Amino acid sequence: MTAAPPRPATPSQPVPLPLTAAVHRPHSRVLPLGLAVGTVAALGVLLLRPPAPVVALAVALVLGAVLELTRRLRGQLAAAEELEAQRLELVSRGRSTADELEVATRMMRARAQTMTSVIDAVTEQSIIGTDPDGLIRVWNPGAERMLGLPRADVVRTRSITDFHAPEELSPEGAPGTPAERFAALVQGAREHGSDVRDWTYLTADGRRLTVSVAITPRTDDDGEQAGWNFVGTDMTEARAAERLKDQFVSLISHELRTPLSSILGYLELVMDDEEQPLTDEQRQYLSTVERNAQRLLRLVGDLLFTAQVDAGRFTLQPEDVDLAGIVRAAEETARVTAAARGVTVSVEAPDTGPVVRGDALRLGQACDNLVSNAVKFTPGGGRVTLRLRRAWRHEDGAVGERQVPGARPVALLSVSDTGVGIPSGEQGQLFTSFFRASTARRNAVPGVGLGLTITKAITTAHGGSLDVTSVEGRGTTFTLTLPLDGVPAA
Amino acid sequence: MDRDTGEAAARVLVADDEEDIRLLVTLAVRKAGCTVVAAVADGPQALAAARAEGPDLVVLDVSMPGATGLEVCAALRQDPVTAGCRVLLLSAGASPDDVARGLAAGADAYLPKPFTVAGLVEQVRRLVTVGSRA
Repeated sequence: MTAAPPRPATPSQPVPLPLTAAVHRPHSRVLPLGLAVGTVAALGVLLLRPPAPVVALAVALVLGAVLELTRRLRGQLAAAEELEAQRLELVSRGRSTADELEVATRMMRARAQTMTSVIDAVTEQSIIGTDPDGLIRVWNPGAERMLGLPRADVVRTRSITDFHAPEELSPEGAPGTPAERFAALVQGAREHGSDVRDWTYLTADGRRLTVSVAITPRTDDDGEQAGWNFVGTDMTEARAAERLKDQFVSLISHELRTPLSSILGYLELVMDDEEQPLTDEQRQYLSTVERNAQRLLRLVGDLLFTAQVDAGRFTLQPEDVDLAGIVRAAEETARVTAAARGVTVSVEAPDTGPVVRGDALRLGQACDNLVSNAVKFTPGGGRVTLRLRRAWRHEDGAVGERQVPGARPVALLSVSDTGVGIPSGEQGQLFTSFFRASTARRNAVPGVGLGLTITKAITTAHGGSLDVTSVEGRGTTFTLTLPLDGVPAA
Repeated sequence: MDRDTGEAAARVLVADDEEDIRLLVTLAVRKAGCTVVAAVADGPQALAAARAEGPDLVVLDVSMPGATGLEVCAALRQDPVTAGCRVLLLSAGASPDDVARGLAAGADAYLPKPFTVAGLVEQVRRLVTVGSRA
């Protein structure tokens, strides 16, 4: 016979309901009625001194009852202890839940305080929170300052649409209901998850502000839409400055190009007049006039181009461009000036190719800028070398001669000179508009500091990079790296 | 410059608000062997002269008071009297966008300022040779 395996009582086992009564009275002396009656009867028999067999039976009965009683009591006691342990655990669980709740509450309160103090610290941006219908719930000091009303005057009383130029919230022209105006305001954020654009805010004293507003939905803990957040930056002055710059640029475009058109046009008429040919001296003087007019024209073009790059309005006209042709053309352009300065210009390039997808005019301009810089900064007797070759740009960005897996083909166009060089401390600023190296100023090299900015912008627009190595007094090399396998962003 | 004998010289209208440029364009048109039927200084005058003269070619500055060259060009295309004439736009704006806008307005060619006299002469000759628009 095998013994039944012991069944350890585990706290997870359900406690039978009838026993729970015993939990409250663990030392109860209530006994089953039959057992009590039998025991009393047996004791009575013993007291009456009956014959021996009867005594033995009574003693056995009493002993049996006592044993049974003990066994039951022990069982009840064990159950009671187990229940007490469970009770204690439940109590401690309850207590720790209460503790955790308190900690969580304290953390929440601290977080809310942090949020409030962060929002209150923002004085340059408006942070406005609304309920789902646009009623203002949050109004930070930035909003107070921008719109001129204290928090107490707006929270729970005003709608965000009260501070928007109404015409911007009524695309159809009709004023619409407040709900329609609010729907128009959050439409972009509703469709795309968030929305950033310029809106016109109306201040308490009647001013109109151009404000870049980021609109995002706010959700509660259940993920339900709880309202909207509006974070605004006053762009009134910045936008006015941008407009002024645009106006200035178009003014230059018209007011400087128009007189230059006249100067160059009439010069051409005089110089090409076959019926009244010029003397050599006249031709030489007028050539000087023409050269300088062309220089002014280039400067105007460079200024306009820089403004277009800054405004992000610079576009490429992509086509297949033979870089060897670009390099040779740049050498040709620089040849006369270089010869006059006693600078030798040489070209090391294959007869044709490599071919890149790009804007021929702009790539030519970039190469011309590098070559004309090199000639300008190289004293007589010096050398300028244009090199064009193929290479590979490795995945880590390094450029090498070897093709390794993952490497992409590039063209390297470098222009080296034996000129005055650029101090190493100034090389980082070379591509900043109007920056001029100290060596340029010291050697009175003419220029305004736009050539490299433009060259860099053109290179970047073609997906390439422009690098410089230079030793003061020894010379400079600019290297233009252009990808050969990608179509640049047009 | 003389045209082939027996063939009437092409009739050209010039419109530019800058007097110096207007004269320069007039000289270039004559160099191309054409007759300048009128040289005017603003958009409305250009439109009126085009309707009165019915020129073969209108050389239009883009930036003019009253109506821009682009507006004049579009109006010329709307009017059956002038819809067939050729239009050459001149402008100080030279970006690809400017060119696209000019051609979208119905111009046959676009020359950025500053232009060379030789370049303008060549364009005028080309435009009057290909005949009027269908």
